[in-house]
Amino acid sequence: MKEILKLDHIQKYYGNSGNVTKAIQDISFSVQEGEFVGIMGASGSGKTTLLNCISTIDTVSAGHIYLDGTDVTEINEKQIARFRRENLGFVFQDFNLLDTLTISENIALALTINKVPAGEIDGRVREMAGKLNIMDILDKYPYQVSGGQKQRCACARAIINQPKLILADEPTGALDSHSSQMLLSTIQSINEDLGATILMVTHDAFSASYANRILFMRDGAIFTEIRKGGDSRRTFFEKILDVLTMMGGGMSDVR
Amino acid sequence: MEAKTVRNLFLAENSIIGTGAFLLGSLVGTGLSGLLNQVVKNIFEVPHTYQVSFSLQAWAVTFLFFALMYGFGMLRAAKIIRHQKVIDLLYDNRKNEEYRFKSCSRSLLVVLLSIAAMVAGVILLGRMLQTQTNEAFLYLGGACLLILVGVYELHRQIPLLLHRFAKQNLRHKYKEENLFFLGQIGRRIHSAGRTMAVVAILLTISLATMFVGLTMGAGYKANMKAYYPYDAGVAIDAPLEKSNMDSIVSFTEEHCGVEDSVSYYLYAVPEKPIEALSLSDYNHLREILGLSPVSMSNNEFLVHCDTWNYMDGIRQGLAQQPEITFNGRTLSAAETPILTEPMEQYQMAGTKGYVLVLPDEAASQFVGEKIRLAMKLEDGGYPELKSDLKQFLNSGKWQPELQSGQQLPEKVTMGVTVKAWGVANSLTGFTAISFCGLYLSIIFIILSCSVLAFEQLSAIDKNQKNYAVIDRLGVPSHRQASLIRRELSTVFLIPLLFPLLLTVLLITGAQFFFGEAILQQGLVPLYGLVTILLFCAIYLTYFGATMFLFKRVILRPEMR
Repeated sequence: MKEILKLDHIQKYYGNSGNVTKAIQDISFSVQEGEFVGIMGASGSGKTTLLNCISTIDTVSAGHIYLDGTDVTEINEKQIARFRRENLGFVFQDFNLLDTLTISENIALALTINKVPAGEIDGRVREMAGKLNIMDILDKYPYQVSGGQKQRCACARAIINQPKLILADEPTGALDSHSSQMLLSTIQSINEDLGATILMVTHDAFSASYANRILFMRDGAIFTEIRKGGDSRRTFFEKILDVLTMMGGGMSDVR
Repeated sequence: MEAKTVRNLFLAENSIIGTGAFLLGSLVGTGLSGLLNQVVKNIFEVPHTYQVSFSLQAWAVTFLFFALMYGFGMLRAAKIIRHQKVIDLLYDNRKNEEYRFKSCSRSLLVVLLSIAAMVAGVILLGRMLQTQTNEAFLYLGGACLLILVGVYELHRQIPLLLHRFAKQNLRHKYKEENLFFLGQIGRRIHSAGRTMAVVAILLTISLATMFVGLTMGAGYKANMKAYYPYDAGVAIDAPLEKSNMDSIVSFTEEHCGVEDSVSYYLYAVPEKPIEALSLSDYNHLREILGLSPVSMSNNEFLVHCDTWNYMDGIRQGLAQQPEITFNGRTLSAAETPILTEPMEQYQMAGTKGYVLVLPDEAASQFVGEKIRLAMKLEDGGYPELKSDLKQFLNSGKWQPELQSGQQLPEKVTMGVTVKAWGVANSLTGFTAISFCGLYLSIIFIILSCSVLAFEQLSAIDKNQKNYAVIDRLGVPSHRQASLIRRELSTVFLIPLLFPLLLTVLLITGAQFFFGEAILQQGLVPLYGLVTILLFCAIYLTYFGATMFLFKRVILRPEMR
């Protein structure tokens, strides 16, 4: 399989010389095309910082990040915007939908920003909405739909441009268990049926069990990683819990 | 926390903010009032020094009105809070997003009715100007009401219609970041549409009052210079001996110093609808007015006309007939055939708005059928001089003699002008109106701009979130900056549209009705332009400041 993402000894420091906080110490790993990778760790372990660096929202202090061969740490501000537009899809805990637009328009926004011809947009939005089962809410505004529906809308927006990598930051963090399950199934189907590469940050073992591979972070470094392989999701879930226990996380890390 | 406690917190917080704002406003307002007073007095060329005036009574009345308005609003909000559930307090702001679309045809109907109301208002204004009775106030009230209602409804409906049409055009809607822009603007139109419409009304009033204030000041100055160029003047439409005027000068000298004086005739030109002045008298008048003398040869003439609305006719007349012949003597137009400095040409330097200036020798061949006396006084004289002079002329102590061979006309007109009297009697009304106009306009501009700026800045956290979303979706920094410019420009320009249009109409109407009464050509359009430019300068300063703050908060440091 093709290597889509490669992190090469990246480090991220905050503060000045007198008071340095090491958010990411020295991380290297790679993600293959079509993989569904979870990143787990306690609060403050650096997982969101890592995601922000990969998504070019934040910059690294040292090291390199390659996405499909492009070193994203070397491109300028103007190229970064284009890079994000063409290569990345985002799903956030708080949905990040625009209250000013309908669900349909929120999804279409990603296409218009990518300069997709106006004639194609409505068709592509409807097609994506059909796949994610949100056809009936297309004309509603975000405040009129449930959290799960909002997050599916966010997923539709993230994948409609067929990005090389989808970055999800605690996508189930604001959802109830039923909506979480539905959303995770959706993300899984996006990965399996549409072949999307997904990098999902979560501290929820249940959510992480939907991934194929989990990277565990502690104090800004990769502590260990486990792969699902041929295991069932239940077995994989138990493995995740074992690792979390081994990492010394408190009960708050094991829901 | 109980709703009652939330209400009490709200009341306490708003009382402190309100009291602070009132005290600060009182201080700034008192200072601004003194400053504006100075500006207005400067416009009217009245000697002035900056002074802070404070009236406890005015302050108390202001406080009463403030307390009534602010207190009413605050108590009403507190009552709502008291009866709200906590969940509603948390999420009620989202209700603003509930778009309630009215039908397109209904909106169009309201637009048409609004235009009709504005047209009817303008018609009523026209009727008001033609009415001499108290009925005029009724027309004025009706006109203002119709125009302001029209402005309000147009500003409510037109942005809604434009937004809807823009969203219906898929090519436009889906072009690059237009969808985001339309969403942002749509939210503002729906949640702050009423505010923008009220701002439009305030701006209309502001522009109108500023125009009236500035034009009245400038018009007063122009007319004052033309009506009262001399400190004192006596005009008698009778062929008297010049020596008769000496006793008037002596009488004046008893009351105030006379620095210079000239007695002269307005000569009757046979078979011509114009009077003549001799060159030496004309130059003496110019000297009194501080103007340089003119020279011309013995076979030349010139026309002095300080009234712009006769100018075209005189120019055409001179072009058709550049020479005039009297008693077999032909005179040609001087190198500069028309002079225009203010000389008061309806009583003193002519009675028709213009006068012919002839060489002394030529003028002396005519009968000096009207006599004039112009004086330059120490410190400009005093207002009561007018009545003193009139009393002297009618007391019987002054016994005028006719020129030999001349007869007293059947009806003798006698006039006395004293500049100090004119200034004292017309200034108060003009300055009061001008002051009110300028003060109101500045207050309304500040109010409107503050409301608009506050409207933008109060929603800045929401906007910050929205712009962060498109930043993540890959909208480059320059496009985000451009979107902010478009968004704020639209919000600031929408309420400006009709106020500017109405002001242009007001300027045109004022020029049409009052243009000829103001003795300086083009003064109304000039000060209309000054009004618009001054207004735009203040408005754009607010716009720039809001833009600066908006960009500073919304954009990441490297993107600003």
